Amino acid sequence: MGLEQFKNRNVGQQNYVMLDLEHTPETGMGKFRQVVRRTFKAELFVGLWVTMREMINALFKGQMHTVKYPFEKLPISPRYRAIHEMLRLLESGHYRCIGCGLCEKICISNCITMDTRYDENQRKEVSEYTINFGRCIFCGYCAEVCPELAIVHGPRYETASEQRASFSLFEDMLTPIDKLNLQQEYDGFGAVTPNADENIKKTPLAY
Amino acid sequence: MSVHNSINTGKPITVTIDGKVCKSTFGKTILQIARENDIYIPTMCYLSKVQPIGSCRMCVVNVEGVDGMILSCQEKAVDGAVITTNNSALFHERQNIMKLYDVNHPLECGVCDKSGECDLQNKTMEFDVDTQEFTARDQHRPVENWGHVSYDPALCIMCEKCVRVSTEITGDEALKVKFGGYGSTIINVKQEKNYASLGEAAAVCPVGALVSTAFKYTSNAWELTKIPSACPHCGGGCQMYYEVKRDRIYRVTNEFEFSTLCGAGRFGFDYANEGVSKDPAAFNAAVEAFKNADSVVFAPQISNEEAMILQKLKEKYGFKLVSHEARAYQKFMAAYSTVTGKHLYNGDLKTLSDSQAVIVLGIRINNDSPTVKYHINMASKWQRARVIYMHPMEDSEIQNIVTQFIKYEVGSEEGVAALLAHTLLEGNEDVTKTLREYLDDLDIGNLSAECNVGEEELDALKKSLLKKRGFSLVVGSDLYMHPRAEQIAKLVALLETYAGFNVICVPPAGNAMGVSLICDLDDSAEGKTVGYNVKGDFTLSALGDGDLDMPALNQQEGTLTTVDKRVVPMHVALPYGGYVLNDIANALGIHAKYTIDYTPMLPVAKGFKKTVFDALDEYFDATGTEHRGYLLASQKVPVKRTLDEIEEIEAFDGAVVYRCDPVEQFSPFTAKSTLLKDEPVMLGSTQFAAAAKLQDGDTITFEIDGISFERLFKIDTEMKGTIALNPTFDMGLSASLLSSYRFSRLVFRKTNNENIGNNDE
Repeated sequence: MGLEQFKNRNVGQQNYVMLDLEHTPETGMGKFRQVVRRTFKAELFVGLWVTMREMINALFKGQMHTVKYPFEKLPISPRYRAIHEMLRLLESGHYRCIGCGLCEKICISNCITMDTRYDENQRKEVSEYTINFGRCIFCGYCAEVCPELAIVHGPRYETASEQRASFSLFEDMLTPIDKLNLQQEYDGFGAVTPNADENIKKTPLAY
Repeated sequence: MSVHNSINTGKPITVTIDGKVCKSTFGKTILQIARENDIYIPTMCYLSKVQPIGSCRMCVVNVEGVDGMILSCQEKAVDGAVITTNNSALFHERQNIMKLYDVNHPLECGVCDKSGECDLQNKTMEFDVDTQEFTARDQHRPVENWGHVSYDPALCIMCEKCVRVSTEITGDEALKVKFGGYGSTIINVKQEKNYASLGEAAAVCPVGALVSTAFKYTSNAWELTKIPSACPHCGGGCQMYYEVKRDRIYRVTNEFEFSTLCGAGRFGFDYANEGVSKDPAAFNAAVEAFKNADSVVFAPQISNEEAMILQKLKEKYGFKLVSHEARAYQKFMAAYSTVTGKHLYNGDLKTLSDSQAVIVLGIRINNDSPTVKYHINMASKWQRARVIYMHPMEDSEIQNIVTQFIKYEVGSEEGVAALLAHTLLEGNEDVTKTLREYLDDLDIGNLSAECNVGEEELDALKKSLLKKRGFSLVVGSDLYMHPRAEQIAKLVALLETYAGFNVICVPPAGNAMGVSLICDLDDSAEGKTVGYNVKGDFTLSALGDGDLDMPALNQQEGTLTTVDKRVVPMHVALPYGGYVLNDIANALGIHAKYTIDYTPMLPVAKGFKKTVFDALDEYFDATGTEHRGYLLASQKVPVKRTLDEIEEIEAFDGAVVYRCDPVEQFSPFTAKSTLLKDEPVMLGSTQFAAAAKLQDGDTITFEIDGISFERLFKIDTEMKGTIALNPTFDMGLSASLLSSYRFSRLVFRKTNNENIGNNDE
């Protein structure tokens, strides 16, 4: 979707429709007549009926519109940058982070700290990973630089906590292993483009 | 380096590189001249400190009038040559080389330790290689753990730098190429005592194939702060960088193009005195202790500035200042200088590596001074130097570079020095008449018999020096601690004065050389003592086990004096929260804001300069010239060439022990380093075991200089003779109290566990 329609600020050329509103009465008689007409037209009951109908829908037909925050939350745009999440590989369940340290390097508020080690399987393992949310400015660079889409911004936008600077650990941010099937792919900055497949160049294999 | 065309070597030439007129001398390669003139020629396998490898072919250039491309790393420039280092054909050639290097190179830069300082990464970017066009069937190449270093053959580009340093520099020849076309790999043929080669190999590796196992995957290169410093362990003062993140040293690297680090320097870095805070009570006690001290005893592992502070305190309070090894060295050099007329020896490491004959006397060189050994190895490899190793014990570790081993009796160093002087000064016309008489009067037959050095061995030595140019002599601490050290010094000095030898008197430990030049030392301690890194009535210790904590050498600023006669700066790598020696000096009325305020006050009469610490340089330029600190200036000393009669040689019969630390161990500080894991065991041959009636696995106790040792005895089948090696690196604060000759008779008591059964002892 282009941005052209938002850039067009020439109001007169847009398709506005003039509503057919009646004129406000100017004489006392006119006002009296309007009151009498509205009273006996039973418009009050129209309004009460709407309320009644919505109440019935909500209570008996399960069409409640009230969001019971904080128990319920509205979906948020994938581009919204809230508290980070650490994703897992869908195939193996192993966390995606390879410990490359790019997020730590790019972080402009220096809130990411990590330690890595050489593990028993001769792989680089993230032994410690913390984000100081008291410092984080949610710029999204970490998610954008991550080569593995391992660190992403999730939809959890409540950043209030008991302490001004509370630390978040790797485990807190990591998708729980039993909720792996609910893990959403990230569509925000740094995500794979929809046409990524077209851009892949294959390595030649002579054998 | 090469002796070819030696006639024209050094002749001035002019070449034109990329239109720039460059003046240089004949004998240099095109690449060297280009680098001297800041002209960039890309290379992958070139390593300045070894001979050109020529495996990458990235350095190709065009020379006018010559068909094809020339390897600039190998080709010597000739006068008038017009050279082009870059054009589209050369770029294409180099790009293709990079494409080939990138075939099947694992795309794991994200986790690779080399990422960010990787030659392959840089050159891949430089030559715009973004796709793989060539292909080869990949092979299974599992990662190998070689101990200190892990090898990942999948990342290896077979540049062979590692093999070259292990052969040409460190000389233990641990690494070899296993040829097999695309399946070629590097193999480690030496499983033990290979720290130096492996560390050096990891340093020069242009990719992430060789990485220190302890460092692997712990940090990215770009996160580490490089703190330039000098290695304080052996007195070599080798250039090094502490790589630090969040107050922790992750690894030690160096300017590997031009300088070398041994295993101790590279892996022995975590000896800091950590978690120290200011303890005013202990501090006041220390100040009191200094006021009441009759003697201050200290280990030579201190900076020049600290030595200067101790000297100033001595001048003010009049206590005795004792540091045994430094004192022995000081006396040796004092005697030495009466013959040469200069307060320092004339030798340096560069000349040593250019020598065609090297004599090593009274030092177990591979253990005592790795950097000197490396330079001897360079001479051996580049100049095909004769290496004559004179010692009571053969050393199997250096047999690949030693061309003649001359074994002498323990204690006969004086006789050996006399024999050497006699042999090498025979027919020398510069020798004064009195000296000639002295040498002629020596009873050679008797000396030769007593030292057990055959006259034919000396003849062979003399013969092997014929037709050679550039002689070096390396002497070490067996001589300094000898009861006749001063006489030996004079005999050795004759070779510098008359025989044109490049003599290096290897400092015995730590900064012993600096201490010997700065401090006015006394022979022995008396009364109440304050010990600095030595056990005293009041002990200051950087090991964390004294009465007052002191910073270790990687926690303080200062300078060291090296075997190359250079004063080099060290910087603070780790924080330290406690008191330093300068605080005590301030409390005692010798005022300076910082310890490094003493740097310009170091004694000019001993060759130091009045340079302030912050003005000391720390770099190598593009041609590899060292600009670290400054060289000590040679000072004139009154000449007094009087030699004594050679004393009767004291016989050391039966089982003898030799104070010698394992390779890469030098002091309690290296002992504290977790990566250097050496067992403090006494090693002897089967012959020694028989002579001492010991068995493998026996535990014995004995005393040397009043310090009691408890040692597990182990038989080393590679050793010969009746001398065992007794390490001292684990002795902590007692290590520097040893003051006698390095060899001693072994009088011991077996203290095996009772349940083993009663021994005859």
